Amino acid sequence: MTWSNVKLIFKRETRDQLRDRRTLFTIAIMPLVLYPLMGMAMLQVAQFTREHPTQIWLVGTENLPDSPALLVDGDLDPVWNQGERSELLQICAPNDRDENFHKLVQQFHENRTMPGDPDLINQMIDQEMKSRGVDLAIVFTAGENGETEEAQNSGPSAIVLLNSASDRSRIAADRCSQILSRWRTASIKQALESHGVPISVAEGVSIKRADVSAKSKRTAATWSKILPFIVIVWSLTGAFYPAIDLCAGEKERGTFETLLSSPAGRSDIAIGKLLTVMSFSMVTSLLNLLSMAFTGLFVASQMGGGVGMAGLGLPPASSMLWLVLALIPISALFSAIALAAAAFARSSKEGQYYLIPLMMISMPLMMVPMLPGVQLDLGTSLIPVSGLMLLLRGLIEGQYAEVLPYAAPVCMVTFTCCYLAIRWVVRQFNSESVLFRASEKFAVGAWLQQVMRDRHDLPSVGNAFLLGVMVLVLGFFVQLAVGSTMPGSWLELAKTILIVLIATIGMPAILMAMFLTRNPRKSLRLRLCSIPAACAAVLMAICFHPLVTWFTGFVLFVYPLQGDATGKAEFVGSLVDQAPGLWAIVLLMAIAPAIIEELAYRGFILSGLESLRNRWQAILITSALFGIAHFAIQQAIITFAIGMILGVIAIETRSLIPCFLYHATHNSITVLLPRVDATTVDGSPVLPWLLFTNDGSIWQYSVLPGIVMTLLGVLLLVWFVKNRVVPDNSVELDTTFLQTALGRK
Amino acid sequence: MIHVRNLTKQYNELSSGGFLALKGISFDALPGQIYGLLGPNGAGKTTALRILSTVLKPTSGTAIVNGFEVTAEPDHVRRQIGFVSTNTAIYDRMTAWEMVQFYGALYQMDPENLQIRMEALFTKFQMNDIRNMLCSKMSTGMKQKVSIARAIIHDPPVLVFDEATSGLDILVAREVLDTIEHLADHGKCVIFSTHIMSEVSRLCDRIAIMNHGKILAEGTISELSENHDESDLEELFYQLISESEKEVLSA
Repeated sequence: MTWSNVKLIFKRETRDQLRDRRTLFTIAIMPLVLYPLMGMAMLQVAQFTREHPTQIWLVGTENLPDSPALLVDGDLDPVWNQGERSELLQICAPNDRDENFHKLVQQFHENRTMPGDPDLINQMIDQEMKSRGVDLAIVFTAGENGETEEAQNSGPSAIVLLNSASDRSRIAADRCSQILSRWRTASIKQALESHGVPISVAEGVSIKRADVSAKSKRTAATWSKILPFIVIVWSLTGAFYPAIDLCAGEKERGTFETLLSSPAGRSDIAIGKLLTVMSFSMVTSLLNLLSMAFTGLFVASQMGGGVGMAGLGLPPASSMLWLVLALIPISALFSAIALAAAAFARSSKEGQYYLIPLMMISMPLMMVPMLPGVQLDLGTSLIPVSGLMLLLRGLIEGQYAEVLPYAAPVCMVTFTCCYLAIRWVVRQFNSESVLFRASEKFAVGAWLQQVMRDRHDLPSVGNAFLLGVMVLVLGFFVQLAVGSTMPGSWLELAKTILIVLIATIGMPAILMAMFLTRNPRKSLRLRLCSIPAACAAVLMAICFHPLVTWFTGFVLFVYPLQGDATGKAEFVGSLVDQAPGLWAIVLLMAIAPAIIEELAYRGFILSGLESLRNRWQAILITSALFGIAHFAIQQAIITFAIGMILGVIAIETRSLIPCFLYHATHNSITVLLPRVDATTVDGSPVLPWLLFTNDGSIWQYSVLPGIVMTLLGVLLLVWFVKNRVVPDNSVELDTTFLQTALGRK
Repeated sequence: MIHVRNLTKQYNELSSGGFLALKGISFDALPGQIYGLLGPNGAGKTTALRILSTVLKPTSGTAIVNGFEVTAEPDHVRRQIGFVSTNTAIYDRMTAWEMVQFYGALYQMDPENLQIRMEALFTKFQMNDIRNMLCSKMSTGMKQKVSIARAIIHDPPVLVFDEATSGLDILVAREVLDTIEHLADHGKCVIFSTHIMSEVSRLCDRIAIMNHGKILAEGTISELSENHDESDLEELFYQLISESEKEVLSA
């Protein structure tokens, strides 16, 4: 890469964008002009809505006690108003229709329903209120003097009837609630005093809340929730338009071709453009931040009167430093992703189609830290974007001791994502098929023809991804269907597991191998392997099991199982205990998943991804798809790690048999280990040295033997790599049964 | 100067699978020579020129530009060529001066030499009046002048013109053709694609008539007339293309 070319391209693109009115509108005009205008409009609208009076209908005022009096001359006594403006509550006079309304309210109060329509009484009450043009009705009832204890205790009551579907009705209810509350307290006080009881008896233990936080801390806490969100959402939005213009726009104008024929390399062009998009993303974010903050402060101070933002000062000065520091990697990440996606587009319009899904994917990551109770810990620090937002929140609040320990994982995840995104951009710019994509009309018929015509011995990269995505989608829908009806017995559990495995993983893999490739056996790696390789796979699964167990413990420490997941796991465990024997458990929980998952992942998907010509990339992507297919994050991480080992075995042996043996052995140990009893361990010559238990139920690996086994596992892995099988030496399994089953030769 | 051997290029296409845009073409162009690539739309002319300017990679075959191979040494090849495409391909939001200066800087020209060279080119192409005008406000003719100035700013030994006169009025087109002639007179190797016969007759020292990714005939205009017993170039072109179309249809 030539930095002088990068600099030249950056300068040119920046000047170009600054001369573009649309870009200037997005980055400068909108934040500096639009927000103040919106703020002014908001103030006007707020004033308009606050000024609107609401109509209150008081029914049964004859039941009101004389003292303390709620009404004076048919209107609310101003003594109960403390800050509320009495002219906003207009009281309607009672009339002769009140008796009917009373009956309706009585029915409603007693939860009586009309036959056929449970909402009929609600509708009738609402209709009565609407016919009088009132927003709220308060029905006062007299106390009962029955003989029963319950009747004697029931005093006069006020039923506030509101229509929660109407804004005016809700506002009226809010306005009345404080007035009624003060009146009620006064009546209790009066009643107690008349009996010589001090009011403190009724109040009991007085509970008061006192906020001991300093004002600066309260300010920081409020800003820490707002600022990171604004910065990150605008850095993404600010990257959008420049990315589209610099890629798709340049293709449209025909200038890309001449730039590509200049001495500037593809990487120079990609990085130059990336730096431009990044700069605009950062400037957009900062300008929006400043403008929104000042407008927000102004609007809040104008609205005043108990509004949360009122009296909120400027954010702490240090927060700007943290925001600017965080903005650099986050802008780089979003700019790179936006630029890489925009490089696909042939026109600006098409570019917008590609970038909208990017926004949809990023939004949940930005919303997670806004959820109440979400804090920065090792688990959340590993989530891209969310971790950074939480770290920013902590830094703005000045909680350095709490959040700085997680700065390293947050930075690691953020910079890794940036690196991958930038690599993707450079790759896009080096891809001829991306830069000069033909504007061909898509037709399903032509696509199917192409799929059949262009079949090769092995699946393509696209086929591999298609299966990976198909497994995820089918898995989602099947889980949705199965999730609502949990199996009630071992037999039902077995059926469910087998149906899910076969329908969502096994059959798609076999069918795709049959129809999308010319050599299904090779695609699924259905070849014999040497006996040492088979034995080594079994031994390696045993040797690596302590390491996987420890890793599982670490993952569960970072991402603890939630209550629901623990409950489900215990429930499934109780069903497994009903199995007719250990053989059935091993067959269902170890062997069946091993066969089916290996066919799909190390078979079809890895074979397809091998055409990437980078075996580590192929293994990594296959393992990622394998992990994601397990849905729960804890399981996804563990299966990803196991998938990496299985990927190496598959590539080195070119056979699925060692993979299946490893997978089945690993699964078998995992399901059998909790079922081993102390007598078995004590009676074994090896197990007491290898296993120990603290509570008599959960077996754990001893550290030293575990480490020795892990080292042995590593040696076996090295042995696999050193004894790589050349494809031509392998013997293919007879799979004619698959072809005959599908009616093909 | 340019040596092309068995050059093929396959595009991935949904409807036909792989579309072979070039089917093993070979030709040579020497310094001071104007080499014309003739053919109807879709003949493969632009693909061939894009490969020579390293914008596309060939599927197979070799192309050597001033001693550098396009696939193995693309960075060196780019310094040997100036590329003028069908559309004027200039940035709307740059002035004529900025545009040429940007490309000169990309070729890492010394700022002083660049300034002198730009002054000379702007005077030669009578562009001093428009040097501070944004390209978006220029006529097509002005834009093409800027595009040529940009392509020759670094004084490359090889110039690639891909249908450079298409869409230009007769006066501007004649100016472009004069420039091409002038460049060849100064020892540049010019490779020039067009489907306008009069331009070929006037300019080209050698021509290659292409259709469906193949060279149907190659040589000087007099050699082609002699070999095909047809003195009118347009008639000769029509005959060769018609025969080629018939072959494709029968195949």
